[in-house]
Amino acid sequence: MMLLSSLVLLLSGVISGTLAKSSTGNTVLVVVETAKQSNYSKFFKGLENKGFDLTFREPKAESPVIIQDDVPSFSHVIVLASDAKNFAKDITPQTLIELTTLKTNLLIALSPKQTPLSSLAAEFSLILPTPGSVLYSYFPERADKPTVVPVNIPQTPITSQKGPVFFSGVPFALGDNPLLVPILNAPVEGFAAESTSAEVLVEAADRGGEGLWAGSRLGLVTGFQTLDGARVTWVGGPEVFSDEYAAKEGPNGVKAANAQFVQDVAAWTFQESLVLRVDKVNHFLANTTTSLEQYTTNDNIEFSAYISAYDAKTGTWAPYSGITDMQLEFTMLDPHIRTALLPVPGVPGKYSKTFRAPDRHGVFKFVINYKRKGYSYLQSSTIVPVVPPRHDGYPRFLSAAWPYYAGAISTSLGFFVFSALWLAGDSRPAKKGKAQKTE
Amino acid sequence: MAPKTTPSTPKSAPSPVASLWKAYNDETPDRLKFVDSFLVFLMLSGITQFLYCILVTSFPFNAFLAGFSSTVGQFVLTASLRSQVNPTTKDFKDVSPERAFADFALGSIVLHFFVFNFLG
Repeated sequence: MMLLSSLVLLLSGVISGTLAKSSTGNTVLVVVETAKQSNYSKFFKGLENKGFDLTFREPKAESPVIIQDDVPSFSHVIVLASDAKNFAKDITPQTLIELTTLKTNLLIALSPKQTPLSSLAAEFSLILPTPGSVLYSYFPERADKPTVVPVNIPQTPITSQKGPVFFSGVPFALGDNPLLVPILNAPVEGFAAESTSAEVLVEAADRGGEGLWAGSRLGLVTGFQTLDGARVTWVGGPEVFSDEYAAKEGPNGVKAANAQFVQDVAAWTFQESLVLRVDKVNHFLANTTTSLEQYTTNDNIEFSAYISAYDAKTGTWAPYSGITDMQLEFTMLDPHIRTALLPVPGVPGKYSKTFRAPDRHGVFKFVINYKRKGYSYLQSSTIVPVVPPRHDGYPRFLSAAWPYYAGAISTSLGFFVFSALWLAGDSRPAKKGKAQKTE
Repeated sequence: MAPKTTPSTPKSAPSPVASLWKAYNDETPDRLKFVDSFLVFLMLSGITQFLYCILVTSFPFNAFLAGFSSTVGQFVLTASLRSQVNPTTKDFKDVSPERAFADFALGSIVLHFFVFNFLG
């Protein structure tokens, strides 16, 4: 029996080791026209090599449906059919939003044309230029059309390789939504325009560039991580994924980095990279190992959190000690204590902090709320009551109170001495007094 | 009565405080002087504790309340004993000094019982 169960464990370990490349699942639905499917064969091949199960679907095909009985059928959805004017009735902005609440990740390519996806982009704080606008850049000088723009990849945790990425498509302005994760921005010389006829450019130059969308604040590839943890990546045009662009050469003979770049973007979107989680948290009275149900005011409390990062290479979660800017809050409505929660040296994945509970009783929470662009959100909240000391828990016989003790004791002693003298002197002074009185 | 009607120093009028002090010394029985000295002690003790509370700390407030109220309570009990055993007071003619002292002692013991309960 033991042998069998261990065999099953081993087997499942092997299977997950070979197949599980994403932390949330391996099934991917690709919505793309069959005719264009071969344009992206390198991208799809790369995904399949990593262990993803790709299912292709025409934008107007009725099956397979993306949500069946309120359960998403796929872990990830790629929409490359950006030119499609209308989709099958189960692919609408509403169902795509619903997918994100069901923790399905989306990779969506936009089109310069007005499509249902354009209105969905606005829901994610992406501001699209007027329909028909695409990114132009005349720099650096090259043989390509000005709409095929080489963009240098910024050094971010999501994309680390060097080299130009060829992009053509629609750029978009980013709203001030804090959940947006810019991955690739337009080059400084780039601008969005419907056409580049001389009149349009002269007119824009006359107005000092006013009304012209231009510059590196324009996003080309932008991620969005919902509060539930689902990731949505918006790409200005599907050509970034194409075999043609992957094989291109840059202006100075540098090879295009498209192939690796789109794999990195997909890895981030499909929860392979920068995925963190809180395994467990615990709290003790400092220097003990027993967890208390409640603490007393001014207790020294030790709080620990164990954090893991997903390792896509092995498909396992490994302790992660790389966070240096996490904070712990001890909160009752307001954070009464907000302090750094730093990794413990020598214990992988453990973050710990010892602090003194405030001199305030009530229902407190240990709160970790770590949100950084690109990384999974770490959220943890543990309720713990903090009570005042019990009636016999207060300090006694304080030195500051000695005048009061002396006062009370001397009064009592005085009473005894007074009584003793009164009783001892009862006969004589009383008689004397009476005698004097009578005399 | 005598000191008031026959002033010992006729040349200059004596200060009222001095004459009051002299009258007290001359007229008060030793027994009552003894009670008064205890009252003065209690008053000084109470004032000391109150000043300490104001100027230094009231932190173990229960200790302050116990210490201060023991002096106040003892003062009240002793003052009532004094008025009951004072032969010039007419109100307590039917209360014997023994009875008054027994009341005083019982009241004091009860008071100190509460004080020491509250002190720590």
